[in-house]
Amino acid sequence: MTLNKTLLASVIGAAMTTAALSPAAAQAETTLRMAYDADPVSLDIHEQLSGGILQLSHMTFDPLVRWTRDLEFEPRLATDWEQVDPTTMRMTLREGVEFHSGNAFTAEDVVWTVERLKRSPDFKAIFEPIAEVTAVDAHTVEFTTAKPYPLLPNLATYIFPMDSAFYSGNDADGDPKDEIVKNGNSYASRHLSGTGPYEVTDRRQGVRIAFERNDAYWDESSPGNVDRIVMTPISENATRVAALLSGDVDFIAPVPPNDLARIRADEDAKLVTMSGTRIILFHMNQERVEAFQDPRVRQAFAYAINQQGIADRLMKGFATPAAQFSPQGYAGHVDSLAPRHDLEKAKQLMAEAGYEDGFEITMMAPNNRYVNDAKIAQAVAAMLARINVSVDLKTLPKAQYWGEYDDRAADMMMIGWHADTEDSANFHEYLTACPDADSGAGQYNAGNYCNPELDQLVAEANLEVDLAKRAEMLQQVEQALYDDAAFIPLHWQDLAWAATDNADIAPVLNVMNFPYLGDLVIAEE
Amino acid sequence: MIAFLIKRLFHALLVMFVISVIAFAIQDNLGDPIQQMVGQSVPESEREALREELGLNDPFAVQYLRFAANAVQFDFGYSYVFNEPTTEVILRHLPATLELVAASTLLIIALSIPIGVYSAIKPRAWLSRLFMGVSIIGISIPVFLTAIVLIQLFAIGVSWSPFPGDTGWGAWLNDLLTTDGGMPAYGRGNPVPVFGTWETNFASLEGLTYLVLPAISLASIMLPLFIRLIRAEMLEVLQSDYVKFARAKGLSPRRIYFLHALKNTMLPVITVGGVQIGTLVAYTILTETVFQWPGMGLMFLDAIERSDIPLIVTYLMIVGLIFVITNTLVDLIYGLVNPTVKLTGKPA
Amino acid sequence: MTIPTSPLERSPTTSRRERLRDSYLLYSFLRDPIAQLSLLVFIVLVAAAVLAPWLAPMNPYDLAQIDILASELPPLWIDGSDPAYLMGTDAQGRDLLSTILYGARVSLIIGFGAVAMQAALGVCFGLLAGYLGGRVDAFLMRLADIQLSFSTLMVAIVVGALFKAIFGGATYSAYAVPLLVLIIGLAEWPQYARTVRASVLAEKGKEYVDAARVMGLSSRRIMFRHILPNTLSPIFVISTVQVANAIISEAALSFLGLGMPETQPSLGSLIKSGFDYIQSGSWWITLIPGLVLVVLVLVINLLGDWLRDVLNPRLYKG
Repeated sequence: MTLNKTLLASVIGAAMTTAALSPAAAQAETTLRMAYDADPVSLDIHEQLSGGILQLSHMTFDPLVRWTRDLEFEPRLATDWEQVDPTTMRMTLREGVEFHSGNAFTAEDVVWTVERLKRSPDFKAIFEPIAEVTAVDAHTVEFTTAKPYPLLPNLATYIFPMDSAFYSGNDADGDPKDEIVKNGNSYASRHLSGTGPYEVTDRRQGVRIAFERNDAYWDESSPGNVDRIVMTPISENATRVAALLSGDVDFIAPVPPNDLARIRADEDAKLVTMSGTRIILFHMNQERVEAFQDPRVRQAFAYAINQQGIADRLMKGFATPAAQFSPQGYAGHVDSLAPRHDLEKAKQLMAEAGYEDGFEITMMAPNNRYVNDAKIAQAVAAMLARINVSVDLKTLPKAQYWGEYDDRAADMMMIGWHADTEDSANFHEYLTACPDADSGAGQYNAGNYCNPELDQLVAEANLEVDLAKRAEMLQQVEQALYDDAAFIPLHWQDLAWAATDNADIAPVLNVMNFPYLGDLVIAEE
Repeated sequence: MIAFLIKRLFHALLVMFVISVIAFAIQDNLGDPIQQMVGQSVPESEREALREELGLNDPFAVQYLRFAANAVQFDFGYSYVFNEPTTEVILRHLPATLELVAASTLLIIALSIPIGVYSAIKPRAWLSRLFMGVSIIGISIPVFLTAIVLIQLFAIGVSWSPFPGDTGWGAWLNDLLTTDGGMPAYGRGNPVPVFGTWETNFASLEGLTYLVLPAISLASIMLPLFIRLIRAEMLEVLQSDYVKFARAKGLSPRRIYFLHALKNTMLPVITVGGVQIGTLVAYTILTETVFQWPGMGLMFLDAIERSDIPLIVTYLMIVGLIFVITNTLVDLIYGLVNPTVKLTGKPA
Repeated sequence: MTIPTSPLERSPTTSRRERLRDSYLLYSFLRDPIAQLSLLVFIVLVAAAVLAPWLAPMNPYDLAQIDILASELPPLWIDGSDPAYLMGTDAQGRDLLSTILYGARVSLIIGFGAVAMQAALGVCFGLLAGYLGGRVDAFLMRLADIQLSFSTLMVAIVVGALFKAIFGGATYSAYAVPLLVLIIGLAEWPQYARTVRASVLAEKGKEYVDAARVMGLSSRRIMFRHILPNTLSPIFVISTVQVANAIISEAALSFLGLGMPETQPSLGSLIKSGFDYIQSGSWWITLIPGLVLVVLVLVINLLGDWLRDVLNPRLYKG
């Protein structure tokens, strides 16, 4: 369409553009033009554990199971799974599935993929609990764990079986094709063969990546009718929104909070928002500040913060105020916990603890990592000033922030966390468990909060295969952390996507931010 | 002539050497590139292994020598973020910046010559005074503010105005002050591919509309300087003897102004101007930031933010090269136009 | 400068020349309404900035006075405003008028400080280069040429980025004011150096310098006591324009995130923080500080223009 408007298009277009780009071909098929803030860094889905790579995985591969919108499991390449004994799970695989290369999908591919995951620097920690995978027959696999492990189906959402035959052997340079190379040029980073709804047809890093519908896709019940997808990375927020509103692209994500109103006001665009699962919080370092060892001081801080005000004003309603780690739908979520903003109560607690006149602390936050991160930190500093706590605030770009974070360089530090396993225990293990350099527990616990009882409870929960009982234990942990004011939760950052009116994006979106684009329907014009 | 070029080449190498050493010396302070490459839950032991593999733990001199050895062969390393050679990343962003600079230069030339000449010929005319007044206001507005105001006026639009809408004059003023907006203000739209990584905004009407606001903003910083420069030089030339002779000879004023006077005015304008066009590259950083124009300036700020050291170093070296080249060209042109200037004698 | 000095202390020629120039300055000032208006506006702005702690309705640095629930309120003349905030509030709920007054203070401090720094560097280097000549001259002028060919803004951005990297983001914002003074000073000294050098070369051949040398005075004394006073009028003219330039440079650095932190904003960082909100309709957070910045720089430039016309010094061209 846009080509028609050009002055020289008839001349240059004829000479330069390929047949696939010409308007005639585009009309015969349904094409989705989409813009994300970044394109996947590699075609090797085991090179990096990041949102971009997982989005690519869901387009070109299929997981064994995947999450539904309500955080239930949905069978994909695994049709059925059962716990044989506390440490063994057997999964039945779908038959008649082919990879893009034409190879048939078998249990061997699953075994090969899990073994590769256990070699990947980014994924090996998550797959630690799995001791062994064996192919029972061509379409049955057995996962064995060293200890009882209730989260195997959660892990299975990360297993996107790769085409083992395709990735075996050496490439032209003599390097093994299954090599995982960070920031380099491996075979797997340039070639892809999965079972997924789309095949990669053209890719220029940082410019565009084009997908074509997999004709032999196994899921014939999928309503998806998109034949081609062209994804362009547009890292600048305002440009991405402008591209949607001017009709240059059909689908964008993420949508910055400041532009939500503009998209809502536009007749041809629609907006889908969802309460997200990434918690934004502040740690209060008990090792650096003695006062933070007094639970009354921590509670006073928690009472002084107006989560609702931040969510309404700074985030423009684009956040869900939080009082705990676990968002709705997670096993550990406690419904009754609500933000406790009460300035009088906060002052009273400070007085009880003997800090009526307050004290001085330092605070650090990133300024380009989370939505409005630096502004949130400023607002929190202002709120603490009300209870006479004077805050020396520094904000840093993310490239420098995490080094400071590892050094625990300030008394209060901001962090956002998404549980890779979509499970409540993960929050505690990384953020509030007693820090232990050897086991890696509390790796991001910048508060130095330590309650061995809770660690014990979480450890037990991780061995509890009865999910109802397990949920109860995790809720106990959340309640204890709340009562103790172990940290200051602020909000769960909402997610937003926007699309042109004819693209029916709502059914394929979810809180994990993996749009299942294989099922996307675009209405014929 | 050859001695002059060799001297310039030497300068260029010196500048690039200094830039690369400084950039290398500070890389530890720019942040940890590993952060950008791995997921958050990756343990420290894995990060350390990766650091070792990328050679980030080697002593400074080793890292620098490795870089320098490759740089001599125009291999400046791989960008950590884009995962491809930095020269390719820059080549991909270069056309956007060059097109922006070209569009602004065209605007500057097309506007400054007639305005400058007019205000020199008729220094007392009200229009000349207006031009001079506007030009000093222009000098006083920082380029990013011009850009923001243009966005408010022509992209967002102004619906509010202080005058009562129910009176005739108020409604008229309101009409005058309110704007609809709607001009594209962010990014390049859909530039038309020409060849390789070069895509152009000049080949389509739509592309040109994307170019309008950024080009005006970038031009706004230099336009007043050029108008004043041309006016001042022209005034000086008009006082000179040969113009007086030409007048006495009875040549038509048009012929005097545009053939004889303008030609002599342009000589100093080219020297100053050539250098200034080079410095436009610096201002593209600001313009590109506001308009999110995907050129080298935006890429550079992004690289600083993500501590993509190889990309930062390459950018600085290439910009250094651009400056040295424009300055050398300007001096060469100056030498050709005015043979009395001896190139080797002039300090570079 | 109006106090008459006794004719015995000063040579009559200097005194007469000075008196003549003083009266001419005053004479042309009284004849130029634009210069008068500019000076008036400049004095008002500087006074408002200096008196900010007493004039501002609120202290924007005192976090306890800030209320997030009062954020993004429009100025008084627009619907939805709060009479407590004449010019509205920014995204944190700070009173915009107060923040602008404090911000103008920061901008002016950096502007004047940076010019003092440039002048100190530039005058020293210019005197050295002009008086000593030879290798020193060649080296300093080559350095100036390379720096100028890179454009002062580019140098400031690169030096700013380097400083930020060397000191780390946190330290950088803690010492942002002196660091910005240093950065802009380092970036713009060549302007002074070239002008001073040109004046020195012109003065050097004059008889009074020869006389001083014959009398056996030290080079330093000749440079600072004899040559420097005679180059003052071009320095004065440049300084006016340079203050305006330094304020713009500071604003540009702050806009790129290499300047003042948002917790202690200058006019530039105010404009930057407001730019995020321009799309959502809160134009005042960015455009009102922008207007103040432009007016401040404009009146300084107008004064500089007038001074140049009056004093008409030999400025180094190109």
